[in-house]
Amino acid sequence: MKTRNRWRRAWLLAVGALAGFALAPALAVAQEFQKVNGPLREELPATPFVAAAYGFIWIALLAYVAWLARGVGRVRKDLAELRGRIGEQADRGGPRP
Amino acid sequence: MRSVGIGFVAAATAAAVGFLFVPALILGAPLEPVMGFVQKIFYFHVPCATMLFLSTFVCAGGSIAYLFKGSEAGDRVAASAGELAVLFGLCTLVTGPLWGRKAWGVWWQWDARLTSALLLELIMIAYLLARRYGGPAGRKLSAALALFAAIDVPLVYKSVDIWRTVHPQTTVVPSLDPRMRPAFWSAFALILLVWTVLFMVRLRLERARAELASLRLDVEDMLEIG
Repeated sequence: MKTRNRWRRAWLLAVGALAGFALAPALAVAQEFQKVNGPLREELPATPFVAAAYGFIWIALLAYVAWLARGVGRVRKDLAELRGRIGEQADRGGPRP
Repeated sequence: MRSVGIGFVAAATAAAVGFLFVPALILGAPLEPVMGFVQKIFYFHVPCATMLFLSTFVCAGGSIAYLFKGSEAGDRVAASAGELAVLFGLCTLVTGPLWGRKAWGVWWQWDARLTSALLLELIMIAYLLARRYGGPAGRKLSAALALFAAIDVPLVYKSVDIWRTVHPQTTVVPSLDPRMRPAFWSAFALILLVWTVLFMVRLRLERARAELASLRLDVEDMLEIG
């Protein structure tokens, strides 16, 4: 029983020592903050994000206007076609809508 | 189609001029001390989000008129506003993450404001899809969806006050620096003008399509008689 306890203690000590070794570099890094010399530099430049946002709004609105223009064009074409059919019918002397 | 009126031409011209003039005002507005230059996205992001809300409410209003009174005009108003809701929702959901990437370090957060806004956009896309592919009952189904979208709008707006989110709160606009206000309200007026012009054109197109469909039926009848 005594031998068993001794082994358990030794095992716990070994695990504790390993954990200590593993954590030591991290603790060391945490103690080594470096001060910034000069003005703080921004990691990401803001201009591409602002330009992309404005560009997207422009493109989306223009694409929608183009899509609307296409719809108007189709309606005009269909109306012209219908007028043609009505005209043909009228020439034949049929009833008008 | 009927020719466009002078009011429409004036509004379209003002919108085009505004797109050249307002960015100069925005660039001239003071920089926000914490976020810096990327905060300039705010000047168009907030008006686009407001137009998403406005479009959704107009769509829901038209849908109510169609569902409960059978108003065809209401249905046309709803269809026109529904498309604009998707358009301005897309602008909001693209410009927001562009701002967030710089300000928060991430493109997206599943927080209450962003998630509820995405949900609203998805409901409005579902509205258009139900209209387009829903068959004979599609218009009624989409009108019901518009009502759910309108219920989501107050939730999107108040989400930043109710839950803890990374998104700025609703107090941002009322507490805006007085030197930033001219740029913000000019951008807001411009986007509202653009919305009005697009809505007028889209509604006109919807009316023309309805007239064309009715005329086509008349011609078919006439040809059968003839």
